Amino acid sequence: MQLTTRSSLLGALLAAAVLAVAGRAGAQVLQLDTGHTVFYEAPTKTHMLVYSPSADVQVSPWSWIDVRGGWEADVVSGASVATKAGGVYGAAHNADVVTAASVHDFRNVGHGEIELKGNTTSLTAGYSYGTEHDYVSNSMHVSARTDAFQHNTQFELAYAHNWDKVCDLVQDTAVANQPTSWQALPNSAGCFTSDPTRTTHDLAVDTYEASWAQSWSPVVETQLTYSAQLVDGFQSDPYRSVIIGEGIKAQEHVPTDRAREAVTARGAYYLRSIKAALRFSLRGYHDTWAINSGTAEAEFEKSFGENVRLMARLRGYRQNGAVFWSDDYFGGAPPLGQKGQYFTGDRELSPFWSALGGLRAVWSVQPADHRIFGFIQSFKLAGSGSMQWFSYDEYTLAGTPVANTFAYVGTVSLTLGF
Amino acid sequence: MRALFVLVLVLLSLSGCATVAPEQRAILADPTMQFDAEGKHEAPLRHALENREGSMGGTGVQGGGCGCN
Repeated sequence: MQLTTRSSLLGALLAAAVLAVAGRAGAQVLQLDTGHTVFYEAPTKTHMLVYSPSADVQVSPWSWIDVRGGWEADVVSGASVATKAGGVYGAAHNADVVTAASVHDFRNVGHGEIELKGNTTSLTAGYSYGTEHDYVSNSMHVSARTDAFQHNTQFELAYAHNWDKVCDLVQDTAVANQPTSWQALPNSAGCFTSDPTRTTHDLAVDTYEASWAQSWSPVVETQLTYSAQLVDGFQSDPYRSVIIGEGIKAQEHVPTDRAREAVTARGAYYLRSIKAALRFSLRGYHDTWAINSGTAEAEFEKSFGENVRLMARLRGYRQNGAVFWSDDYFGGAPPLGQKGQYFTGDRELSPFWSALGGLRAVWSVQPADHRIFGFIQSFKLAGSGSMQWFSYDEYTLAGTPVANTFAYVGTVSLTLGF
Repeated sequence: MRALFVLVLVLLSLSGCATVAPEQRAILADPTMQFDAEGKHEAPLRHALENREGSMGGTGVQGGGCGCN
């Protein structure tokens, strides 16, 4: 897929702005980043491969300003569950009622950001524009940060707003007010064009975050973060259908409003004897769809000499299901059966556990007395790999538990400073 | 929630007492002691986690696109 004219124009404008600022000021610091990530999973009925390249540039013409611009993409191929049924329906119908559909998408995001820095404060503002075959996103964010007590205390406030649009199928006017009769979007062809069979829904997202970081001793640091998000608009997967009765297959239908909040506490402790740091994170989450979750994460990172760091990570996650979640809206004894006016086949709204393990290596070089090859001031190469495992309490594919619930994420990134 | 709020207030009131002198900050400035020293490198993993779990929060507010297949 070609980049849209709008995102190309945005990228060109960002590049021109960066180069203009850098040229006029005789840029003292230029930083280039590129990253490449591969995500892969292949649970029953589906598989998904996502390649995500990114490129970023940062110019710091003066000590009080950073100008950043960049691009990232997701190249998606695989298959996802298109029609979801539960065990009761599956037992009553021998046919293979759960179907999968191929997925091919290309997400492009261009973004720019300016940060103004003082001795103890900084202000940041940025904008990003993203496109997919079936999704368009405009997003702005601002944040303010200040230090206090000899830099031992930091406070940060941040806000972001998204104006997004989601493609959908135009429903028959006779059933416009009957979600149980709505049909799923068969594919993204015609989205964001004048195709009379396609329409768009708005999705607005407001995200708020406040954090407080504190140095308690020369080897102990903590951070407390409160996050809130208000989501208003179309939040269903337009492609997914759910079997909700005998012979009734309808497009997934979830509430249009969702308020989410989370509190995250993090701590870091330096072990002088082995020159390594231990970091912990605990997060509690709640939303108005009645999903509650807890996340615990621990990281151990050790330096080897001045240039190499190795990190190991373990993470555990647990959530309950949304109040309207059911594995089978066709019927059955609780927890199966109808759950009010909404229905979903989204496994991310079901109760489950997940566990993640990962490793990361970083090699960074920043000579104090010379430049690498005569022109590179700093160099950093990082590589990481993670494996995640899911255990679904209730989610099945027509009664068959999902097998091979592993997901793999690998990232390589390179940063050069000039 | 009220107890958490009170706890935060108490900790905040103590924060001014817990000063670390500038000459003692070498370890705190070490990359291993930074919560987001490799934030850009970790962003794709966080993005994948947010799209495979029903939760959010604690890792910044920036957005851009759905990418939620």
